Amino acid sequence: MTTLQDSPASGGQALPQLPAGRRDSVWRRFRRASPFALIYSAAILIFYTIIFIIPFGTGIWLAFQNWDFITNPKFVGLRNFAKAFTDQYFWLALQKTVMFSVVEIFLGLSLALLFALALSQILGKWQNIYLSLYYLPVITPLVVSIYLWRWLYRPTGGAFNTLLSNVGLPEQPFLASPQQALWAITAVIIWAHLGTGIVLFLAGINDVPESLFEAARLDGAGFWQSFYKITLPLIRPVLVYQMVVSVIGTVQMFEAFFLIPGPGFSTRTLALYTYELGFRALNLGYGAAVSLIIFALLLGATVFQLRRWQIEWEH
Amino acid sequence: MASTADTSLRPPPISPIRRWFISGRWSKAVVFLILAFFSFAMFYPFIWLLFSSFKTGADIVSLPVTLLPKKWTLGAYLMVMDPTRANLPIAYVNSIIVTTGTVISVLITSSMGGFVFARLEFPGRDYLFYFVLATTMVPFLTLLIPLYIVMRELNLLNSLWGVWVPSIFSSFGVFLCRQFVYGIPRELYDAAKIDGSGDFGIYRNIILPLTKPILSALAIFVFLGAFNAYLWPLVILNEEKKLTLPLIIARMANRFGGTDYQAVMAGSVLVSIPPLIVFLIFQKNFVRGIALTGLKG
Repeated sequence: MTTLQDSPASGGQALPQLPAGRRDSVWRRFRRASPFALIYSAAILIFYTIIFIIPFGTGIWLAFQNWDFITNPKFVGLRNFAKAFTDQYFWLALQKTVMFSVVEIFLGLSLALLFALALSQILGKWQNIYLSLYYLPVITPLVVSIYLWRWLYRPTGGAFNTLLSNVGLPEQPFLASPQQALWAITAVIIWAHLGTGIVLFLAGINDVPESLFEAARLDGAGFWQSFYKITLPLIRPVLVYQMVVSVIGTVQMFEAFFLIPGPGFSTRTLALYTYELGFRALNLGYGAAVSLIIFALLLGATVFQLRRWQIEWEH
Repeated sequence: MASTADTSLRPPPISPIRRWFISGRWSKAVVFLILAFFSFAMFYPFIWLLFSSFKTGADIVSLPVTLLPKKWTLGAYLMVMDPTRANLPIAYVNSIIVTTGTVISVLITSSMGGFVFARLEFPGRDYLFYFVLATTMVPFLTLLIPLYIVMRELNLLNSLWGVWVPSIFSSFGVFLCRQFVYGIPRELYDAAKIDGSGDFGIYRNIILPLTKPILSALAIFVFLGAFNAYLWPLVILNEEKKLTLPLIIARMANRFGGTDYQAVMAGSVLVSIPPLIVFLIFQKNFVRGIALTGLKG
């Protein structure tokens, strides 16, 4: 009896058939699924295999190799990562990236919030007109903005220096100076991206129920008081979203530092450094290692921000 | 009698200026003026761009610099349209091909994805969706070098295909459309199913028309992203005849930057026109779209 029960061939026994039955149901669910869904899933899977899984895997593999496109890749273990920690150019690039990112985000978001607050005071047609004007730099191709600003920044005969000398201030070297170049580029990017922040903040502010402001006004709250107590807490999700996205965006900013670099290494950020390692110096292994470090840093920054802000949010 | 009672109830007369101050409208006016000033400041670089593009070569480098051209000329525009001096017309065609291809493919794949991930059942659906979302966690910069190697293996270097292929699908678009399809009543899908429609028929006849608002918002951002893209085309393309507009502007800036900056300006004006047209046409969807996409992203 027991041998009969143990043997799956005996039939009629529920116990050994259970896993087989489960496998059957997955298979059946596949057969019941619509061909449309399956074809789509196959397509998206193939796509992400080619442009995500394989490159990401290759990137990780590459970070442990030495390769220059020509000779055979050579396994070097963790040497590429170790190199990054002793490479002064890496630290310099990291420093420039953080400086740019922090200042761009702080100034950019503060300005955007101020503009959105001011815009929320005017309603109707004019709000839209101003919004469109502020949004114009966002839709302009960044390359156009960059070369336009380079021309305005010219040390002699540039529009900004003409303006400065007209009001009696000393002319500035802007992009030609190692101290000013990074901030000159930061100004371009703030200008170019301000519109997005304004539109998002304005949408957030406009979503705040008017009755809350009304109630606050009846209680005698001023404009700034109701801003701190009502608007700011309610648009916090927008703020968090903007911060997270801006960090990811600014760290990856490439064009500006590539096209109008300051002297020497004064504006070489991690994004530019990765590009130069991969496509100029052909040090692919090291470039891949640096880009993985960027990934880790961004992931850390994102998780940190979400955690920090969510905790404050609950209070 | 009645009139005297009326006057006693009327508030004491105040001057219009005082009333204006009390009403708080003056603060609105100040805000309005400040905003007007800053919008002018934001717009200021574009004024230089526009006027400089009509200058002559001698004019643009002359000192002291003036905003208005001394002599208005279309020379700079003719210079950049001349195929022997700049490949702007070809780049225009290239950019339009890549941008159109990207917008169309992303709209199709995103709306389909939204439907598939929100309404259709198959094993592993949610895992697949989370995987698609998870790919956005890895910054493009990290994939840059290895993706270039993959494209080299696929023989897609120096071709517009190579620019297009990585953006056929958009995980952001799929995510957005899935959220949107969730808002479409399930009954519509069930009713069509009972009527004997296949899933593709339902997608084409119900989902596609109903997702139009989100698709038009998505289209704008995909358009801008593809049209203004710089880094990936830079890596993929190098032959002058294959370049897209942002790349050709950079080449022109190197070629004409020293003496003929008006050519860079003219090229910049021409390059900025397509996004501007899209913006003006879809202006209403724009603001709504940013609010819709930005907040939910």
